Amino acid sequence: MQKRRDVLKLAAGTAAASFLPKKLYAQTGTKKLSILTWNIIDMEPLFKQWFATFQSQNPGVEIEWLDKKGPELPAFYQTQLAAGTPPDIVDIQGGLGLEWAGQGALLDLTPMLDKEPAVRARFNPEYLANWVFEGKNYLIPFYVSKSLLFYNKPLFKAAGIDYAPKSLDDILSYAKAVSGADRTGFLTLNFDWLYWPLFRMQGVDLLTPDLKKPTFNTPAGIETADKLAKATADGSINKISWTGRWVEPNGAFAAGNVGMMHAHSSAYFFVKTQGSWITPETIGIAEVPGYWSTPNSHGYAISKGARNPELAWAFLKFATEKSQAMDFARGRTLTTANAEVDKDFLAELDKNDPTAAAVLRTQIEHTDKLTGNWRLSDDSAVKNIVWAEMQNIFLGRRDAKTALADAEKKVERELRRT
Amino acid sequence: MNTAPPQRAGVAGSADAVAPPVRAADWYRRKRTREAMLVACFLLPSLMIFFLYRILPLGWNVILSFEYWSPLKAARFAGLDNYAEMFLEDDVFWQALTNTLIFILASPIAILLALAVALAVNSDLKGAAIYRTIIFLSYPLMSVAVGIVWRWLYDERGGFINFVLRGTGLIKEPIPFLQSFGWALPSVILADIWQVVGFYMIILLTGLQSIPQHLYEAARIDGAPASARFLRITLPMLRPSLFICAVIGILNSFTAFDLVYVMTGGGPAHATELLVTHIYNMGFGETRFDYAAALTVVQFTLLVILTFLANRAVGGNAGSVESA
Repeated sequence: MQKRRDVLKLAAGTAAASFLPKKLYAQTGTKKLSILTWNIIDMEPLFKQWFATFQSQNPGVEIEWLDKKGPELPAFYQTQLAAGTPPDIVDIQGGLGLEWAGQGALLDLTPMLDKEPAVRARFNPEYLANWVFEGKNYLIPFYVSKSLLFYNKPLFKAAGIDYAPKSLDDILSYAKAVSGADRTGFLTLNFDWLYWPLFRMQGVDLLTPDLKKPTFNTPAGIETADKLAKATADGSINKISWTGRWVEPNGAFAAGNVGMMHAHSSAYFFVKTQGSWITPETIGIAEVPGYWSTPNSHGYAISKGARNPELAWAFLKFATEKSQAMDFARGRTLTTANAEVDKDFLAELDKNDPTAAAVLRTQIEHTDKLTGNWRLSDDSAVKNIVWAEMQNIFLGRRDAKTALADAEKKVERELRRT
Repeated sequence: MNTAPPQRAGVAGSADAVAPPVRAADWYRRKRTREAMLVACFLLPSLMIFFLYRILPLGWNVILSFEYWSPLKAARFAGLDNYAEMFLEDDVFWQALTNTLIFILASPIAILLALAVALAVNSDLKGAAIYRTIIFLSYPLMSVAVGIVWRWLYDERGGFINFVLRGTGLIKEPIPFLQSFGWALPSVILADIWQVVGFYMIILLTGLQSIPQHLYEAARIDGAPASARFLRITLPMLRPSLFICAVIGILNSFTAFDLVYVMTGGGPAHATELLVTHIYNMGFGETRFDYAAALTVVQFTLLVILTFLANRAVGGNAGSVESA
C-alpha cells in the first residue's frame, strides 16, 4: 500500500513539475526565443557565441535552437504550425518563403523595416525584394546564392572552345562539341527550379506578371524544350540534369567528364573537395547567358504565431549586423546580401582564394535578373505540374508541343483552384 | 440460549446450509472480476496508446478528407470535393495507384525467390547457415542506405551494373536505369526485392522447419515423388507463412517511401510515384493536408481489401488461434 502511495506521489509530483517552468518564467520574466535553422549544424560554435552575446544584451532571454537537415525542415515546420507551436524564427530556403508567406504562416516584416531604415539599408535591395509577397516583406536575407555557369577548361580546350557561352545555342553547341565516349557536355541542377534560366534566357516566362495565366506554352517555349530534349537524347546534356538533385550532378561534374555545369555558388565548394582536376587554371566561371539566374537563398522569417515577435526581430537585427554577418560569411565562405559585409569579405577573399572570390562575386552581380520563384501560395504545386511535363519532354517520353499544352491546362486549373 | 423462533432458526439453518455454495459462487465471480480488472489494467496502457496514436488519427484523417483544411486555415466542409479531384482530375493519383499495384504484384516474385532460397538452405547444403546469414543481412539495413547503394549501382556512367553489362558485351550503350521511364520502376522494385527477400526467407524457413518430418516419411513410403511432396505437403503446410509474407509484401509496397524517395524521388515525371510518396508530396510539399487525407483514406481502404483477399487466398483462417 505504501508503495502504491509512493508511486502516486511520484506521478503527481512529475505532473506538477511539468507545469512548473511556465509559472517560473512568468515569475522571473524569462523570455524564450525558439530558432529553427536549415542544415547549418556545422556552425554551432558560432551560433552559441551569438546566443551568448545576444543574451548578455538581453538579460533573461532563453534561446532554444534547433537545426534540421534539408528535406526535414519543411515537414517539421508544418507539423509545428499544425500544432500551433511554430518556432519564433525560421530559416527558409528558396521559394518556400514566399509560399508560406502566401499561406499566412509568416509575420509581415515591412513595418519593422520601415521603422528602421538602417536595417533595410543593410541588404542588397534585389535580394530583399525577392521575398516580397503582395507588397509585404516577409523575410530578410541570411545568406544568399544564385545560379552561375562552371566549365571545365581542359575539356573546352580539347574541343577547340576558348570562351564562355553567350547564348543557349552556344551552350548546346559547346556541349555537343565536348561530349563523346563517357563525356557529356552540360549538366544543370534542377531542384528549386535552378534550370529555369535556360528558358528565361530565351524570353520564356512561366506566368503573366499578374500571375493569373501561364505563358510558357509559346513557340519559344516549345522550341527551347525541344532543343534541350534533343541535346539530352544525343548525349550532349547529361540525363542526371533532369533526375538528380545535388550529389549526383555535382559528383558527375567533379569527376571531370562534364563540360559545363549550371549550379549555384555552393556547388563550387562541393565539387572542389571532390574533383582533383579543379584548380584556378582548370575551372571556368561565368554568368549564365543573358545574366539570368535562380536564387537559392536562405532568409530569416518570423512565424506569425511567434510568442515573442519583438524579441525575434531584435535577434534578426543582431544576426544580420556587420560583425555577425561577417563571421558567418567567413565561416561558410558565402555572401550574405549585407552589401557592406559582402564587399569587405570579397576583398579579403580576393587575397586568399581568388577563384572562390570570383565565384562569389557573381552572386552579388546582376541581381536584377533573378527568376524561378513566383509569388504564389501554391508555387510548389504549379512548379510540380510543369516540372513533370518538362521531365517527360527532356527524357523523350512526350513531344514538347503536346506536353506543354497539357502542362498549360493543368496550371490553369491549379491557378483557378486557389 | 437458543431464543430464536424455530422458523427463523429454520431459515437461518437453511441459509447456513446453502451459504457455502453461494459464497463460493460469489468468491468465484469476484475472482473472475478481479482477474478481468487485472487484465484490463494491463491492457489499458496499450489500448490507450493504440487509440490515441492509431484510431483517433485514423478517424480524424477520415473527417479531414471531407474538409478544406491547412495548418493556418479553419476547416470548412468540402463534401466529396477532395475525392472528386482525386478520381477525376489528378493524373498523378492514377499513376501512383498503378505503380503501387505493380509494386504489390512484384511481391510474389520476391516470395517465390525467398521460397527457393529457403528450400535450399533448409536442405543438407554445405554451409547453409552461412548462406542464410548472408541472405538475411540485407534486411536489417536502413532503406535509405540501400537506396543510396542501389542508386550508385544503377548509375548510367559509372555504375557497377552498367559496367558489368558493357564489360560482358551484353549491351553497347549504358542503360539509364533510374532516368528511364521504362526502367525506373522495375529498378526500384528490384532493389526492394533484394532488401526484403532475406526476411521472407527467414519466415518461410521457420515454416518449413515446423512441418512434421513424418509426413514426408509417410509420403516417401507411399512412393510420392519430390514434386508431389512439395505440392501436397510443403505448400499447404506453408500457407500461414506464405500469408504472412504476402501481407508484409502488401504493407511493404504501401510504405516503400524511403527507398523511392532516395532513389528517384518519385520521378522521372512520376514514373516511380507510389501512393505513399504522392501523399507525402501533397501534405508536406504542397501543404494540402486535406487532399492528402483523402488519398490516405483510399490507400487504407485498398490495403484492407488486399489483406482480406490475401487471407481468403490462403483459406480464410490465417492468423487464427487453434484451441486444444
